[in-house]
Parts: sequence; structure tokens; C-alpha cells
Amino acid sequence: MPVIGFIAKRGLQALFVLFVVTLFISFAIRLTGDPAVMMLRESANVSADDLARVREGLGLDRPFLVQYWDFVSGLFTGDLGNSFFRGPIAPIVTGALGATLLLAMTSLIVSLLISIPLGIYAARHRGSFGDQVIRVLSLAGLSFPNFWLGIMLILIFSVTLRWLPASGLTGPASLIMPAVTIGVILTATNLRIVRTTMLEVLSAQFIMVARAKGLSERSVIYKHALRNSSIALVTYLGLQFGTLMGGLVVVELVFNWPGMGTLAVEAISQRDYPILQTVISILAIMIVLVNLIVDLVYMALDPRIRLE
Amino acid sequence: MRLNLSTVFAAGICASLAAPAAAQDILTVAQRQDPQNWDPVDTFLVAWGSVASNIYDGLVRRDENLDLQPGLAESWEVLDEGMRLRFKLREGVSFHNGEPFDAEAVKYTFDRLLGEVGGTGPQQSNYTTIDHVEIIDDYTVDFHMAQPDPVMLTKLAGYGAMIVPPDYIEEVGEEEFDMNPVGTGPFKFESYTQGAQVELSANEDYFDGVPEVDGLVFRFIREDATRLAELQSGAVDIMADVAFSAVPTIDSAGNLEIVSVPGPTIYSLALKTVEPAATADLRVRKALNMAIDKQALIDAFLAGRGQPIDSLQGELSFGYDPEMEGYAYDPEAARALLEEAGVPQGAEMTIDYRAGNSTFNEVAQALTGFFANVGLKVGLNPIEDGVFLNEIVPQGRTNEMYQFSWGGWTFDFDNTAYLSYHEGEKWNPYGTSEEMNALLEEQRNSTDQAEREEILQEIARLAHEEAYHIPLYNEETVYAVADGVEGFVPAPDKRLRLNSVSLSDQ
Repeated sequence: MPVIGFIAKRGLQALFVLFVVTLFISFAIRLTGDPAVMMLRESANVSADDLARVREGLGLDRPFLVQYWDFVSGLFTGDLGNSFFRGPIAPIVTGALGATLLLAMTSLIVSLLISIPLGIYAARHRGSFGDQVIRVLSLAGLSFPNFWLGIMLILIFSVTLRWLPASGLTGPASLIMPAVTIGVILTATNLRIVRTTMLEVLSAQFIMVARAKGLSERSVIYKHALRNSSIALVTYLGLQFGTLMGGLVVVELVFNWPGMGTLAVEAISQRDYPILQTVISILAIMIVLVNLIVDLVYMALDPRIRLE
Repeated sequence: MRLNLSTVFAAGICASLAAPAAAQDILTVAQRQDPQNWDPVDTFLVAWGSVASNIYDGLVRRDENLDLQPGLAESWEVLDEGMRLRFKLREGVSFHNGEPFDAEAVKYTFDRLLGEVGGTGPQQSNYTTIDHVEIIDDYTVDFHMAQPDPVMLTKLAGYGAMIVPPDYIEEVGEEEFDMNPVGTGPFKFESYTQGAQVELSANEDYFDGVPEVDGLVFRFIREDATRLAELQSGAVDIMADVAFSAVPTIDSAGNLEIVSVPGPTIYSLALKTVEPAATADLRVRKALNMAIDKQALIDAFLAGRGQPIDSLQGELSFGYDPEMEGYAYDPEAARALLEEAGVPQGAEMTIDYRAGNSTFNEVAQALTGFFANVGLKVGLNPIEDGVFLNEIVPQGRTNEMYQFSWGGWTFDFDNTAYLSYHEGEKWNPYGTSEEMNALLEEQRNSTDQAEREEILQEIARLAHEEAYHIPLYNEETVYAVADGVEGFVPAPDKRLRLNSVSLSDQ
């Protein structure tokens, strides 16, 4: 079973990556400041005893490796422990992860729904007026900073027209603007990839053969050309995932989206080690997983690709 | 709770489908920060005070003029030269869960604060002058003090001193109490969505004014622009933490109003008083003070919502001396003093300040302009908060000038003065003088408020003469309020009590 062997091999690699990431994060974050000091920063008359007492209460007086082991074993058992400031971590992170995934997936779908048809159109009508318009628009999409686009959408649709809620996760309507903000940025690059690879594929011999066999144009485009050109798109989406997560942080802040980005920013400002370690580890796990999935999708798209 | 993908998706989807509650007379307030934990002993955040002042009561309450009013105590006396405080408690009050309020609850609250539970939080250190609480009868308690604490009554009006329900906490446990608080206040806690909002409902049995609205929602929106957009779009009624740069926009909108009061927070530059810094020379410190036009900073960057200060306190602070005169803006005199001190034209200095506060960022830029005007080349060194507070200031690793901004929550100069001038304090890495230490200790050991006030004024004068800081301004606390909100009175300490606010038909 080559697939299982492949997954096992990749799983071991993922574990190693995770080990390095968590060790580095746990170590590095402890160099950036003392949570006890952050916690007592607004209290007057803080004595060394007060600091020691708070550190002990937070478990920060234990050796680093003990703290690290607690954290890593928690990742495997699901017992993630407590935040320094706000109780058990698991429900906090679960909620934030749900919100982030919801936004990421919706943005991705928005972007694919726009970029695939438009990319195909542009490739088939290369050099036409429509193609020019699409290329200019995608360049414009690439040039927006996404937080700026987000703020513009808020000004138009919330403040002026009052159609959509400006922020938060309060219902399906609140998903529209953040998903479009990220979706537009993704669309700009995806569209260029679909167009370029379609152009390449459409001039390949097997397309000529397909047409010569008398297949309908629809079947030629969607069954033969699109499938073969999607390998590039899938690779790109896999690579893009890390960037997408990074971009989400800013967009989440603009829309006050209760996701992993907002959570991480707050945790950093408070030196809430347990939350920050967990958030970063989960993002790392997701990026590793997505790349594994991308490899598996290759195989489905093109059986000639062998897993190594 | 374990993590698995299906719960994750379910959580996200449920959250997205839950329709916003349709209800009348719900007052919505937007503020920057999510307090994250509702237990009084676990917090130090002003953001906590603005929400939780509606959920809890203390023995005393500080009103919007900063005067102490009866809270859960109807009266109190200071006995044994400040070594004992006696409180007569209000009868017939219940916690939101029905549990009666009595002397037992008071004792429990302070045993908890001063014991193991309080020990892991930031509040205990504010109350260590209390030795223990003794129950005299069901509605009388005595606070036995370890030492007299003239500011204790004020401290009892906030934060760690909020009275909590003993039976409830014992029954549900500490973790549950953090997230599902119960108090005696005008609003009951309903639900909390982390990072998003907290919902409260009116306490119809409240002893001190049943709320005018049915419910209260506090939304936590970190971005200034987004918070403002929510106000402009009508989703929010009262916006807290208004950025000064947004004041003109709000002023010019027809349906919004700016409401402000002098706040607790002052901004200043602390000066490094040890060699080899040029600011070790008193003449240089005085010259730097004379180089700044404080009113110009307030007009340009605070939209006029602030007052210039000459000591590290605003006019509401106990210990403020209206007679005291600061260093007047006089670039000529500043240049002369610098020359006398042997500081050459073009000498370089640096300001360390906390990055992330956009107003102070702009102020810092302008300060370099004022300093250039007296011939100094001043550079800016923005530093991330945690690093600034942990590594730079307490270790005495600052440059010549560094930001000192403080909101003394007690509005008593003791709070700010002690940590800025007393030996060994975090905000006093370079030391002051024996005389200063003695004055600070003297006022702490006195319970005679008139005497204390005199000593605190003396401390401010001494600090002024030694020019340890460049006091800049006292910020106002600014709120933006939508049409239809009636009876909103902002509190200088940002503890919003919203039971008297009503919503008219809009």
C-alpha cells in the first residue's frame, strides 16, 4: 500500500517539524518578557515577593523542559491546560479555530468561483478585450493592501448603505465582507495561474486529439484541459495556505473576527504563553496537513504522479 | 475538552448562524479591550472596570465626581487611628443567584483576595495593608489593618474589593466563576463570547436604581476604525476609547456627540538622572522642560481634549496643587541653560517610548521638533510594550528620556508619586533623594488627610525643582454617543455605571 507508507513517512516528517516548531516557540517566547510583570504592570507597589508569587501561581518557576513537556503532551492528549488570564484553553482555541477556518474556506470558495471561470474565459479569448479587462482587474486586486480593501468595504456597506454588519461574527451576513476581502486577493493570483496554465494546456497535443475525436467543447475544456491545468493551481493553493493564514491575521483585526489571528495578537501583547504556543502549533500542524493533502490530491488528478 | 475537527466546524458554523437577538432597549457599548476574565481578583484592566462596575458592587462606590458614596455598606467609621475600619452593611440585598448578602460574604471576599486564590492574581498587592476582616454581627464587619492605609476606602470602591458570593463560588468552583460571574450590581451576567461581547440583563431588584434599559451589551472591538464604523452604522450606542484623531469626524457627524471628562492618565517623559547622560545635569533637565509647548501638543494631537500638567497628576488627583507653577514654555531660556551646562548645539539625545499608541507616537515626533528648536538632535526609539516594561525601564537601560504614562486608579497622588520617586520602585530606576523617600513614607503613615495633602504637594514641588520628569498632559476620557442615548454621564475612572442611561425612540 504505497499510499499508507507515504502517509506514514509524511506523518513522521510532520512530527519532526512540529517538534522543532514547538520547541522553538516555547523557548523564544520566554525570552520576550515576563508575564508576571505584564500581569502586575498596572499595580503600584509590586514587590519581588509579589512577582515570585505570581510566577509560582502560573507555573513559571518550573524548569523550562518541564513546562515544555507539559505543553507538548497536552497537545497530544487534548488537555491543553489553562491560559494565564482566562481559564481553559481548549474551548477558546476551538472557537477561534472554527471562526478562522470558516473564514478561510469561504474566502477560498469565493476565490475559486471567480477565478476558474474567468481564467478559462481569458485563456480561451486570449488578447480579446475581455481578456485585457480581466488582466487589469487581477493586477488591481494584487495591488490592494487587503486591510485597506476591508476598511473601504466597511465604509461603503456598513457606514453608508448600512446593509452589512461592520464587524464580528454575528451571522451569515457578517461573513460576506471579510470573505470577499480575502477572496479578492486570492482571486487575483489564482486567476493568473488558471489563465497561464490553461493557455499552455490548450495548445497541447492531447487537446487537439480530444477535439479531433469530436468531443464537445465543454467536455474538452472542463474534463481534459481544466483537470490537467489544475495541478499548478493546487500546488499554488497549498503554498498559498501559509500566506493565507498570515493575511487572515490582519483582516481578522479589521473585522474584529474572533479567530486565531485576533487571539494570537492578544496573547502576544499579554505574554500569554500557553495560548500563543497552542495557536502557533495548531497553525503549524495545519500547514503540514494541507501540504500532505496537496500531495494526495496530485495523485488523484494525475495517476502518473508517483508518491515518493 | 478535546479538540477535534467536527466540533471545530460545528462551533464555527453555529456561531455564524446564530441570529442576533432581537430585543428592545438593549444598550450597546463598544470598547477596545476584552477583559477575558470576570473574577475581580484576576484583573488589572480598566476595561474590566467599565463592564464589571455594572455586575458587582463594593462596600463603597466612587461617583462621577470621585466622591465616595455608600455601596453595599450604608456607613463606615475609621477607628483606632486608622487601624480599624467599621462598616455597617446594607440589609435585604441579594446576589443575582438569590444568595443573601451579609457579613459572611464580605469576610469571604477578603479572605479569598488576601489568600491563596488572590495570590496568583494581580489584585492582592493592592490590599495587603488589610490584615483581616472580622464579623461583628450579620450586618457589621471590622477591617483590621496591618498598617493605616489612607487610600483604602477608595480602593474598596473598585477591582479586587468587589463583593463576591461565597456559596456560589464554593459550589461551581473558581474556573466556572471566572467565566460566569455573579454579583449584586444593577445588571446580571448572561453570556460571554470571548473576543466578541458580553451580554448583561437588568437586575429588577437592584437596591440603588433599577436600570432603565432591559439589557446591556459590551462589544470588544480592537481596531479604532472598526469601532467607529460600528457607531456610525448604528450598531453601537456608546463608543469608548475614542481615538483623538477621530474626534473631528465625530464632532462633524450630525447624529453623534462627543462626551469627555478629565481622566486618570497622565503622559510625561522621565529623565535619566545619572551619568553619562547629559540629563544628569539639573540645568539640562530644566531646559528640556522649557523647550515644550504643552498646549500646542494638546491642540494638535488630542483635539484639545486634555490639560497641560506640571506634576505627574491631573487636577482631579488628591494632592494636586493649583498654586504650583511649572516651567513656562521659553525656548530662549532653554537654549541659554543648555549653553551654561555645556551642551553643544546639535547634541544628540534619544526618547524611548512605547510603540503602539498612535497618539503618543505623533506627540513624540512633535517633541523632537520642539527639542530641535533649542538646538538638540533628538532621536526616537519606539519599543514594544513588554520589552519596554520588562527589560528597559526597571533595569535602568533607558536613554536620556523615556515615556512615563500612568493612570493612577485611586486618583490619589500617592499611587503615582510612590512608584515614580521612591527608592527601589520599578519606575524609579535611577533614584531620587533621601528627602523624597522620607516624604513619601511620611504621608503613607498618616491618616490625617489634610496633612497628607500638604505632604503630597510638597512631593510634587520637590519633583518639580529636581525636574525628574517633563510632565506633559492629562488626557481626557473621550466617549462618542449616538442620538437617542439619554442620561449618559462618563466617569473619570472609566467605570461605567449604566443603570441610569435610557434609549429614546430614534
